[in-house]
Amino acid sequence: MTPQTHPLLEMRGIVKRFGAGVLANDHIDFVVVQGEVHALLGENGAGKSTLMQILYGMYQRDAGDIYVDGLPVDISSVSQAVAHGIGMVHQEFMLVEPFNVLENVVLGQGRVALAPARARLLALSAEFGLDVSPDVRVEDLTIGQRQRVEILKLLFRGARLLVLDEPTAVLTPTEVNGLFEVLRKLVARGCSVVIVTHKLQEIRALADRVTVLRQGRVVAAGLCVDETDEATMARAMVGRDVLLTVDLPPMARGEAVLEVRDLCVASGQGIALVNGVSLDVRAGEVLAIAGVDGNGQSPFAEAVMGLRPAQGRVSVCGQRVDELSPGARRGAGMGYLPADRRGVGRVMELSLEANGLLGQQGEFTRARYWLSARRVAAHAEQLIQRFKVRASSAQQLAGSLSGGNLQKLLLGREFSRQPRFLLLEQPTRGLDVGAIESVWGEILEQRKAGAAILLISAELEEVFNLADRIAVMYQGRIMGVLDRASATMELVGQMMGGQDVLGTVAEQTP
Amino acid sequence: MSRPWFVKRQAVRASAVQQAARLLGAVLAATLVGLLLFLPFDVNPLQAYWTMLSDAFFTVRGLSNTLNKTAPLILVGLATVVAWRAGFGYLGFEGCLLLGAVASTSVALQALPGGPLAAWPWPLLVLVCAMAAFLVGGVWAGVVAWLRVRYGGNEVLMSLMSNYLAVFLLQYLVSGPLRAPGDLPQSARLPISTWLPYLWDGGRAHAGILLALTAALLVWHTMKHLRIGYEWVVVGLNPRAASYGGIPVGRRIMLAAFFSGGLAALAGISDVLGSHHRLLDGMSEGVGFVGMVVALLGKLSAAGVAVSAFLYAGMTVGADSMQRQSQVPSSVVVIVQCLIILFVLASALLDRYRWVGWRRTATPQTREGG
Repeated sequence: MTPQTHPLLEMRGIVKRFGAGVLANDHIDFVVVQGEVHALLGENGAGKSTLMQILYGMYQRDAGDIYVDGLPVDISSVSQAVAHGIGMVHQEFMLVEPFNVLENVVLGQGRVALAPARARLLALSAEFGLDVSPDVRVEDLTIGQRQRVEILKLLFRGARLLVLDEPTAVLTPTEVNGLFEVLRKLVARGCSVVIVTHKLQEIRALADRVTVLRQGRVVAAGLCVDETDEATMARAMVGRDVLLTVDLPPMARGEAVLEVRDLCVASGQGIALVNGVSLDVRAGEVLAIAGVDGNGQSPFAEAVMGLRPAQGRVSVCGQRVDELSPGARRGAGMGYLPADRRGVGRVMELSLEANGLLGQQGEFTRARYWLSARRVAAHAEQLIQRFKVRASSAQQLAGSLSGGNLQKLLLGREFSRQPRFLLLEQPTRGLDVGAIESVWGEILEQRKAGAAILLISAELEEVFNLADRIAVMYQGRIMGVLDRASATMELVGQMMGGQDVLGTVAEQTP
Repeated sequence: MSRPWFVKRQAVRASAVQQAARLLGAVLAATLVGLLLFLPFDVNPLQAYWTMLSDAFFTVRGLSNTLNKTAPLILVGLATVVAWRAGFGYLGFEGCLLLGAVASTSVALQALPGGPLAAWPWPLLVLVCAMAAFLVGGVWAGVVAWLRVRYGGNEVLMSLMSNYLAVFLLQYLVSGPLRAPGDLPQSARLPISTWLPYLWDGGRAHAGILLALTAALLVWHTMKHLRIGYEWVVVGLNPRAASYGGIPVGRRIMLAAFFSGGLAALAGISDVLGSHHRLLDGMSEGVGFVGMVVALLGKLSAAGVAVSAFLYAGMTVGADSMQRQSQVPSSVVVIVQCLIILFVLASALLDRYRWVGWRRTATPQTREGG
């Protein structure tokens, strides 16, 4: 669709300073016209979120002006932003889970008659194809449906400009398509949408124009997406050429390091989450498990590492580990990067030094019980330098690291132990292109060093770039294992959707 | 929209100097507010404060009393540090203290003339009493930890209730099986060979303070330099990260509970073998609870516990002598103590918020967003 030329929102010369040194927004101009999807692209820390939080009245700008419909407006609180028709869907949803959809939508609206509100909600839901029932409790909804409730909330409050902060980070590919359809309907009816993202292919699929930020400045303003390409956008974002594909040098495949046989995991309610998975991962190869999130990947990973009770056999280098504690499995040469790196991977109240020690607290000791302060500190320094963690010192708290830097620290922590087997779960989720590039490089280094790597990823691009072999997981089962040479995106996509293309499940072979 | 007095900032760790300054500021503020309480009395409040301070810290007799009250406070405070840092929200220190007192009394009574341990020498007897107390207290707290780890019970509830068990068990013992002839519900006087030695002439300061300081040193060392201390801290802050890192969370919690209970029980031997020399009802005066407050004042660090226990004990001792000399009720000082606690705890706000106060028009400093 062609964007109309009427500017709905203009932000002119926005400046935001944090403390003395950090200039998060340096005279940013940002214009959104009516009826367009405008992507705001930038690395972590480029100033995207700051700009949007200024727009939504959560931060006060130090300088600059905001115009809505060409008129200057004062936005110094969220309620003022809402009054000007601006709405925002945050990454973490702001919903009351025990309440139903209708209750969530009218929450904070003062006294509302429920019956008309319900009718209006149904009308909005039908108009934009949101397909949400007002009477379902939010806790019973999937993540994708909850996101639609957030959008409904904004529409109900009369939003004309919707800002979505990383809206696809939590969605499955099907849900992403559904969301895009909803957003297209919104712009077709005259709303404008801003998506904050660093995923280039989504911009291509959805956005009309893109504005790129780098280090608090605009480096490309309102480019037409049709007239640019991904390499250009990536270069603008990172400031240099970015390798979006990596070479996978051939490796002589060694013997099986990890052997999993008939692994089953049940949820607390007795539902099978992982259903008879058998896999081998050999030295010097990357075996990727592709699959839509929530098809048993995380329970599988936790079961392999001993963090969740399971049935079945797991061995590393021929040694059975399924009866061992998580600590003993680590001792047997297993390394693990969890998907929930903020909740599981780190202790945010402790220093980088203390976090660098986690999982190896038995190794940096004298006489088994005494930690060697000197060696712990040296280890942390080494991690920070070798893996280029941007931190002021090893004493900095882990809670203050950005996503990419935290991931580098955790990867470094696992890699530095030189494990024989590495389980990497969503290693680049939420990272920007520059960080993804360096994480991929480190993974390939480990492959070269002969580690057996099991990569669980929902990003097909990552799977096809890194994997020697690709397994697809669907509803707790492995739908088949493909060599990279014989795998295509289409084939893997079909298997991710549950089609038994190879006849694997029908034959019940591992 | 009015601007706030405080603005949020990135969490920072206050330096030692900042922390000391905050503590001092809180004490000063509480003392000033406390001045109001002296208005109804015909006394010079500064004089009264001075009496309090000098009698608690600057006379041999007063300092001795202060030290005797400091020792059990430090031990309970340390017990709190160990348990709470490991994420075990235990509140049963009063019970551990009393049972420690019961255990050491039971052992010590065996050393009365004619008892099986009568011939044992002094240091060995004290050591055996201490070990018995530590073991009993450790198991008492350990049972609660086991119930929580194994069955998911609520340790706050269980530990609070266990305090009542211990209190009434002690009442039963001093009015029944262990009761000595006489009017009071108390045990017989313990043989001198089980007493903690006095430190100097002119006061009744006993070696309990040495025991407490040694324990503080050990706890400090454990939390800072030992692997188990690191693991306790990780378990306390993020149990999921701990089990990810190969730390057996349940076992670490039970171990922390055992040591914590043991430390609190040592507070009991300091009272029984050092101060009272017999088991009696109501002997702890709530030290098992005040010790937790002391631990919070000391920011859950061993050194902080030692300092705040000493100051707290001094104020209590000083309050008594102030009441004796100037008829100002000692409850005034209790109120000031409580104010100090509130102000110190409130000062933790400054870790996450910056005071902008009268410069409220300046740019608020906020946490950086990406």
